[in-house]
Amino acid sequence: MGELVVEKLDKTYHRREGWNTTRSLTVFEDVSLTIADGEFVSIIGTSGCGKSTLLNLAAGLDKASAGTITVDGKKVNGPGLDRGVVFQEFALFPWLTVLDNVAFGLRSKGMAKSERRAIAQEYVELVGLAGFETYHIHRLSGGMRQRVGLARALAIEPAALLMDEPFGALDAQTRETMQAALAEIWERTKKTILFVTHDIREAVYLSDRVVVLSGRPATVLLELSVELDRPRNRHDGKFQDYERELEDAITRESAA
Amino acid sequence: MTATTTTTEDGRLAVPPSPEQVAIGGGWYRAGLNALTMLTPIAVIILIWELTARFSGWPAAIFPPISDIFAAIYELAREGLLWQDITGTLGRLFKSVIIGIFVGTLLGALMGYFKYWERAMVAPMNFLLAIPGTAMFPLSMLWFGLTELAITSILMYEVALTVMLNTWTGVKTVDSALIKAGRAFGVKGLGLFLRVLIPAALPSIISGYRLAFSRCWRILIVAEMLVSVSSGLGYRIYWAREFFHSDIVYGALFVVGIIGLLIERVFLRTLEVMTVERWGTMRELD
Repeated sequence: MGELVVEKLDKTYHRREGWNTTRSLTVFEDVSLTIADGEFVSIIGTSGCGKSTLLNLAAGLDKASAGTITVDGKKVNGPGLDRGVVFQEFALFPWLTVLDNVAFGLRSKGMAKSERRAIAQEYVELVGLAGFETYHIHRLSGGMRQRVGLARALAIEPAALLMDEPFGALDAQTRETMQAALAEIWERTKKTILFVTHDIREAVYLSDRVVVLSGRPATVLLELSVELDRPRNRHDGKFQDYERELEDAITRESAA
Repeated sequence: MTATTTTTEDGRLAVPPSPEQVAIGGGWYRAGLNALTMLTPIAVIILIWELTARFSGWPAAIFPPISDIFAAIYELAREGLLWQDITGTLGRLFKSVIIGIFVGTLLGALMGYFKYWERAMVAPMNFLLAIPGTAMFPLSMLWFGLTELAITSILMYEVALTVMLNTWTGVKTVDSALIKAGRAFGVKGLGLFLRVLIPAALPSIISGYRLAFSRCWRILIVAEMLVSVSSGLGYRIYWAREFFHSDIVYGALFVVGIIGLLIERVFLRTLEVMTVERWGTMRELD
C-alpha cells in the first residue's frame, strides 16, 4: 500500500566552471532503503549530508543521477499526489485560508468543490485546528502553521508522507507538542512516513526505525530498529540508550 | 495572536483553543479621529489659499479665490461640458489601462518565470524604459496623425511597460518554497502560474498597477493639450488658458486631482485591501 523503496540511489550535482571544466559534487552514492507500509522511518545524519536532498528526490522535486525510488511499485518520475510533503519552512499559501490551504492538493484530483471542502474540513479537525478554518496563515503561530502543513499533506491521502525537518523552525516546547501530535496522528492514520531530522531525540521518539546517513558522499551508515512501546518516554533508560548509540554513530562519522 | 496550547491528562494531542470573538473597529471615535486627521491638512491649505488670494495683492486672474474656482466648476457642470470632459478623459484612460495591464502582466509574468523570455526581453525593456513616455508623442503623431489613437497608443505602451517591470520583479521574487509546495501538490504549467505565481507576486503587481495608473493619468492630461481632441480635462485646461479663463484652469486642475484621488482610493486601494492586506502580506497601519 504505502511501500517506499530506494534502490542504489546516486545524486551528483554538476556545475560548469570556466570553458570546459565541470565541478561535481556527489551527494549520494549507492543509497538503498526500504520502508514498509505503515512504517515510520527517520533519517538522521550530520549537517549537509544530503538528508533533505533524499527527500526532494523521493518527492520528485529533483531527479536522481542513477538508481530508482519507487512508491508502491511505481517509479518516482516527478512530483505526484501519491506522496505528501511537509516542508521545514511551512510553505503555506498566504492568500488562502486554512481550509483552502488544506484543500489545495485536492483540486488536482478533480473533485467537486463541496467534496474538497468536506475532506479538508476532516483533516483540519484531525490536526486540532477546528474553528480556525477561515483564518489566514499570518494570524497563526508557528506550531499551528505546521499543523496546517501536515493537514495539507494528509488531505491528498497519499501512499507516503515525506517530512523534511518539519519541526525545525519551531521552539523547543512547541516541537515536543507537535511530536506528540504527530505520533497520535500517525497511530490514527497509519501512514508510511519518511521523516528527515537532525534531532536524534525526535527520531527515537517518533520512529520504528532510524537510518543514519554518512557524510558526503552519503551512504547508509546504520539502521536501527527502535523497539519501544508507544507512547514513548524520553526519560526512559532504554530510550536514552538508543539516543546514545545514534549519537555515537554520528559523532564517529563527523570525526572521520 | 499567540496560541497557548492545552494538553489532555496524558499529555497527548494538544489542541489550540478556539478563536475568541475579536471586536474589530473602534466605532465613532475612530471614524471621527480618522476624518479629522484627513481633513485637517486640507482645511489648512484652503485657509492659506483664501488668505493669499484676498490679501496678497495678486490679481484674481493669477490667484483666484476658492469661491471663483468653484463657481467656474459649477458653470462647466451646468453647461454639460464638465461631464463631457470627464467622460472623454476617463474613456481614454480606461481603454489604455485595460489593454496595457493585460499585455504588461502577461509579458512580465513570462519574463519572471522563463529564463529565455527574460534574457530576450530585458535589454529592449530597459531601453524603452529610459525614454520618457511624453517624448514619444512626436512619434505617435507621425504615425497616427492628430487623433485619439495617437494618445491611447502611448498610454497603452506606458502602462504595459510599467506593469511589465513590476510584474517581472514580483514573479522573480516569489519565495521558491511556495513554488516547491505548488509543484509537490500536483500543480504545474499554467496552473502553477495562475494558482501560485500570480497570487504570490500580487503585492508587486498591484504596486505596478498603481504606478502605471499614475503615470498614465499624468501623460494623458498633457497629451490632451498637445493633440487636438474635442473634449477632455487636459483639453479644457489648455483652451481656458488660451482665453485667459484662469479660474477654469484652476478648476479643471482641481477636478483632475480629485478624480485621480478617487480612482486611487476607490479602485486601487480596495483591490489592495481585499487582497494583500487581508492576506497579511502587507501590514495594516493601525
